[in-house]
Amino acid sequence: MYSRERVNAALRHQRCDRVPFDFALGFSPYQLDQFRIRTGQDDPDAYFGADVRGTGISPTRKLNQYTAYLDPSTLPEHAYVDEWGQGHIPTVSHDQYHSHLEGYVYPMLALHTREEALGYPLPDIEAEYRYESARRAIARYHDQGLAVMAGMACTIFEQAWYLRSMELLLMDFVDNPEFATALLDRITQKRVIQAERFAELKPDVIMFGDDVATQRGMLMSVPMWRRWLKPRLARILAAARHVNQDVLIFYHTDGNATAIVPDLIEIGVQILNPIQPECMDPFALKRMYGKQLSFWGTLGTQSTLPFGTPDDVRRDIQLRCQIVGKDGGLLIAPTHMVEPEVPWENLVAFVEAVKQYGQYK
Amino acid sequence: MFEPMEDLKQLYDAIVDGNAGRAKTLTTGAVAEGMNPQEILNKYMIPAMDEVGRRFEINEYFVPELLIAARAMKGALEILKPLLTATGAKPVGKVAIGTVKGDLHDIGKNLVSAMLEGGGFEIIDLGVDVTPDKFVAAVKDRGADVVALSALLTTTMPSMKTTIEGLKEAGVRDRVKVIIGGAPVTQKYADEIGADGYADNASAAVALTRGLVSK
Repeated sequence: MYSRERVNAALRHQRCDRVPFDFALGFSPYQLDQFRIRTGQDDPDAYFGADVRGTGISPTRKLNQYTAYLDPSTLPEHAYVDEWGQGHIPTVSHDQYHSHLEGYVYPMLALHTREEALGYPLPDIEAEYRYESARRAIARYHDQGLAVMAGMACTIFEQAWYLRSMELLLMDFVDNPEFATALLDRITQKRVIQAERFAELKPDVIMFGDDVATQRGMLMSVPMWRRWLKPRLARILAAARHVNQDVLIFYHTDGNATAIVPDLIEIGVQILNPIQPECMDPFALKRMYGKQLSFWGTLGTQSTLPFGTPDDVRRDIQLRCQIVGKDGGLLIAPTHMVEPEVPWENLVAFVEAVKQYGQYK
Repeated sequence: MFEPMEDLKQLYDAIVDGNAGRAKTLTTGAVAEGMNPQEILNKYMIPAMDEVGRRFEINEYFVPELLIAARAMKGALEILKPLLTATGAKPVGKVAIGTVKGDLHDIGKNLVSAMLEGGGFEIIDLGVDVTPDKFVAAVKDRGADVVALSALLTTTMPSMKTTIEGLKEAGVRDRVKVIIGGAPVTQKYADEIGADGYADNASAAVALTRGLVSK
């Protein structure tokens, strides 16, 4: 069975040959270097036979000017400003282990009024030319029998706080609703068009997401999430669905977001990711929502993957396949990036175990 | 006429509700009336932040409510600080807090820092990517009683261990209590590396720190 059929069947709770898998956010730079040294190859997905490939929009050709919001002279030399105007300061001082981390600099810290939120320049993420490379990538991967996920993570909340800072945006929700409304609405409008454009390209899955939970529960109360984020997310998901009845709707949030799972299902989410087993019980979720929802992830990157033995990894995978993967509804993946300390033996055990225990009879 | 008890109950409420403007006005008023700043702090402001922490622990408050309450507390505290210093009042304890070497995540660290400050502690915020020697210096030169370490990643957790080793090598480990926290961190890990305590949220960190400094 081709990966594409497998992924589409499994995530629709239909019969297929085995549980599909992928590497979610991929390998950290150090881990990728180690992979290259060990295998002489460049692409872990191809090497291990992952079932899904990702795609997204191409870089902008119309970069906005953000110097009025973020004075470049206040940034260190190796920093860069992205197309949204957010500053990034990569770590340089330490070993290569930590080279994938960045400090953030927020360009909207000093703003206060609705007008200022309306006046801030946003990038042309919805422009048609930025979807051409995704169109080609989807065709290429489909020719190879692979499933494709088009990514638009950090859909609303995260993109907004990348500009405003998380602290200020969360406080705006309470005491500066005009500002927060203007900012979130503008991002949402662009995301609606982005969702439509991705849906037109017919990938197998569109990835949406905002981290709205910590490991002990929601970052904000459920009523606050329902007021600020749910209706906007619903609009974006509906836009994708309106254009394409078949594309699978994937939603990512780190942490324990159990409290909003019924709401997510209600607005059209079909796949929940990453189900961190350290704080969210994949078995309980399967029991409660397994008929309406599929699960993507579940292999703990804070526990088993870095610190377990290969046998621990195999045992986790076996249980996940048997229970969470029963009658489909599971794509196994690490719950986050494969960090530098993950032993190679555990990665091999992960892939071998999925292929062994994930078989459907 | 100024009614100290009545108005200060309102100060308590203003902090619990996260109303920074009102908290500052009421504090200024109380000071102008000659209220003892230490008493305003201990009897009204710190209990208000304790109530905020309690609500956070029972999931009645979430991060936004905690942030606005901490901002109100900070605003009121700014007014009292010079007066407290002038009277020679001592904080409950001095906490040097930072995200450990290699790690840049600071949202959790900032929340813990705000709640500790609201709990009456003096905070030495060392920022992110903090090397062990900076924690050592905070103990040696600035008299920190507690060192609070934060990490978000499994990759950077080992820096907590090296920080504790750094404190030992510098001969100051016995002078301080070390507390740790962050998404991948557990009580088990705290025990393994010889930390004095672990908390899984900002409010619990205040209770933990109070317990440790009173020993």
